[in-house]
Amino acid sequence: MRQQYAIRSLILVLGLAFVGIAVIVQMIRIQNSEQAKTFLTNGDLYAGEFETFYPERGEIYDRNGHLLAGNRTVYEVGVSLGDMEDVDAMSYVLGTYLNMTYEEVHDKLTNSPASWEYIVVKDYVDAETVNTLQQLLQQLDDADDHRLDGLGFKPHFQRSYPELNLASNVLGFVTRDGRGYFGIEEKYNDLLAGTPVQVWVPRDPNKAIEIPRVPNGTTLVLTLNRDLQAKVENILDQALTEYGAKNGAIIVMDPNNGEILAMATTPRMNLNNYTDYFQLYDDGSQYNRSIGMAYEAGSVVKILTMAAALDTGTVTPDTSFIDTGSIQVGGITIQNWDRQPWGQQDMIGCLQHSLNVCLAWVATQMGTQSFYSYMDRFGLGHPTGVDLAGEAMGRLKVPGDSDWYPVDLGTNAFGQGVTITPLQLMMAASAIANQGEMVTPHVLYAMLRDGHQYNVPAQFAGEPITSTTAHTLTEMLAVSLESESSGALLPGYRLAGKTGTAQIPTDYGYDPNHTNASFIGWGPVDDPQFMIYVWLQEPQTSIWSSQTAAPVFSKVAEQTVIAINLPPDLVRLQYGSR
Amino acid sequence: MQVQATRITHAYKQAPWRIQRQWVGAFLLLLIGAGMIAALYLDVTARATLAGREIQSLRTEIIATQRTNADLETELANLTSTAVMQQRALELGYRPVKPGELDYVFVPGYVKPEPVILSDAPDSVLHDFILPMDYSQSLLEWFDERIKSGGIR
Repeated sequence: MRQQYAIRSLILVLGLAFVGIAVIVQMIRIQNSEQAKTFLTNGDLYAGEFETFYPERGEIYDRNGHLLAGNRTVYEVGVSLGDMEDVDAMSYVLGTYLNMTYEEVHDKLTNSPASWEYIVVKDYVDAETVNTLQQLLQQLDDADDHRLDGLGFKPHFQRSYPELNLASNVLGFVTRDGRGYFGIEEKYNDLLAGTPVQVWVPRDPNKAIEIPRVPNGTTLVLTLNRDLQAKVENILDQALTEYGAKNGAIIVMDPNNGEILAMATTPRMNLNNYTDYFQLYDDGSQYNRSIGMAYEAGSVVKILTMAAALDTGTVTPDTSFIDTGSIQVGGITIQNWDRQPWGQQDMIGCLQHSLNVCLAWVATQMGTQSFYSYMDRFGLGHPTGVDLAGEAMGRLKVPGDSDWYPVDLGTNAFGQGVTITPLQLMMAASAIANQGEMVTPHVLYAMLRDGHQYNVPAQFAGEPITSTTAHTLTEMLAVSLESESSGALLPGYRLAGKTGTAQIPTDYGYDPNHTNASFIGWGPVDDPQFMIYVWLQEPQTSIWSSQTAAPVFSKVAEQTVIAINLPPDLVRLQYGSR
Repeated sequence: MQVQATRITHAYKQAPWRIQRQWVGAFLLLLIGAGMIAALYLDVTARATLAGREIQSLRTEIIATQRTNADLETELANLTSTAVMQQRALELGYRPVKPGELDYVFVPGYVKPEPVILSDAPDSVLHDFILPMDYSQSLLEWFDERIKSGGIR
């Protein structure tokens, strides 16, 4: 009996062992089959996906913390084709809400390649529209209606400019591909955009990994004063209307450190509609005339000639010059703007009456080498290095150039035959307003990254003249403004400045009927806190800058002293003595 | 002599049923042990899965919050833009001031306002969150690290 049980047990054990071994063999066989490889590959495909984490583009603020460029959420509206139940309903709803035609949506949904599982119907859809669509989806879901199944929304950021066209020429813009064009957006594109990070994200929650932190793009704080910028743009727009000028530019800068407080040019564009660029501008140089367009500025350059002459000791403010109305330089006759002789003048008179003949004489007295050496030290013909994209560097012909002639010494001395941008002249003139030390203009005040603020220090670009020369010339320019009761004067504040009326060169010589009217000035004379440049292109009511650019300068100065809390000289000196 | 030896052996040999019970007991012990380990494994795995899901959910929430922050900031800037503020000021009866209308008062110790500082104070800066190694390394890695760093106390 016992023997029988033993045999039965043995058979049972062997049977079970056989089944077990068969299961194991089958498992091994399945796992090493051809199909297993396919399953493994498919499994890997669906185990997770590479996700690219894009950092939020850095914001841009003005010096007082007002947001000039931020980000807002927009949506990509798409359909998972595999989950779509009713193509007609989907086409009708999306066509209605996304401002598309039924046919347009239907065509996208039905004519996509067979391998596509998901199709984007429209991108950059605003949050309000998406909210409406989401509510509709919810209502249908509550009613167990599946006609919009497959509809999905993917949020992402889009650049937004709350101030619309304010400072548009300084900021630049960002296109849908996330790249910055012009101004700050282009110059600091890499900093603002940050670095995207691509990570393999498993779907299995057991394999949840730590997603590396993607730092946002660097936030920038600009030197611009938003309120002053708005006022200066308003003044510029009014000036174009009042004087019938084609275009213009105004810059306000702190000559002590090169901080640009306002930079207005025309035309400006609403940065939220960057496609307007193609309607508004013929080429990139027009986007910001302050830095991108070099022109013959005329007599404003005389302050540099006079600075060089004073610095070399060629003249003093009291040096006498008898103006006969013309002078020969390099065999060519140079005349005054009114073609009249002005008789005996000192150097202040030469600047006050803006006498070409006098300044040409000053340059010849100084000598060619000395004159061009100073112009080079003032940065003419070189870019300023301002931190904005698209800077032009102008042209200063120098001896040795194939198109330089001896007469150029005389004409260059009063600003003819030399092209500069408004910012170039401001940089050069900053040496006069800043005790001989020339500043590099800049727009970036600070950078913010990972909670730390890094302030940008002022940069200086050499000392082309001595502080004594700077003081002397500033005083001469202040006296000349006061003597002619210039329209540039601002009651309560002692200012220094110079007009510039330049005929426009054409292929057939200089156009006598059209001019570029410019004015550069700074103040207060005893401690300059601001420097202003005004450029009006082809004013119609008067060709003279004294009647167009100078009054504009005064208006800008009026707003500037309010914006920077600068009391009138009398008050300031009175309080300063306490 | 042989009979005596057999008696002694019988006296010290376990009864067959006792040996059987020992085998069954050992098997049951192993089974219970394996069951406990399996239960523990299931519990830990379930917890890890829940935590993983929560991490995924929190990650989505963080991104959504960042988007909301950016949207609100931009919306605030829209509502306080120059054009809007000027319009509101005009509607409230204000007008731009002229230099002659300004009165300046001497305030001892007054410091001219400096441009805005947007950064946090250095000690309140949030540093990157770094997961301690204790949460990610295996027991073997922990032993290895300890040995390399001077032994286990």
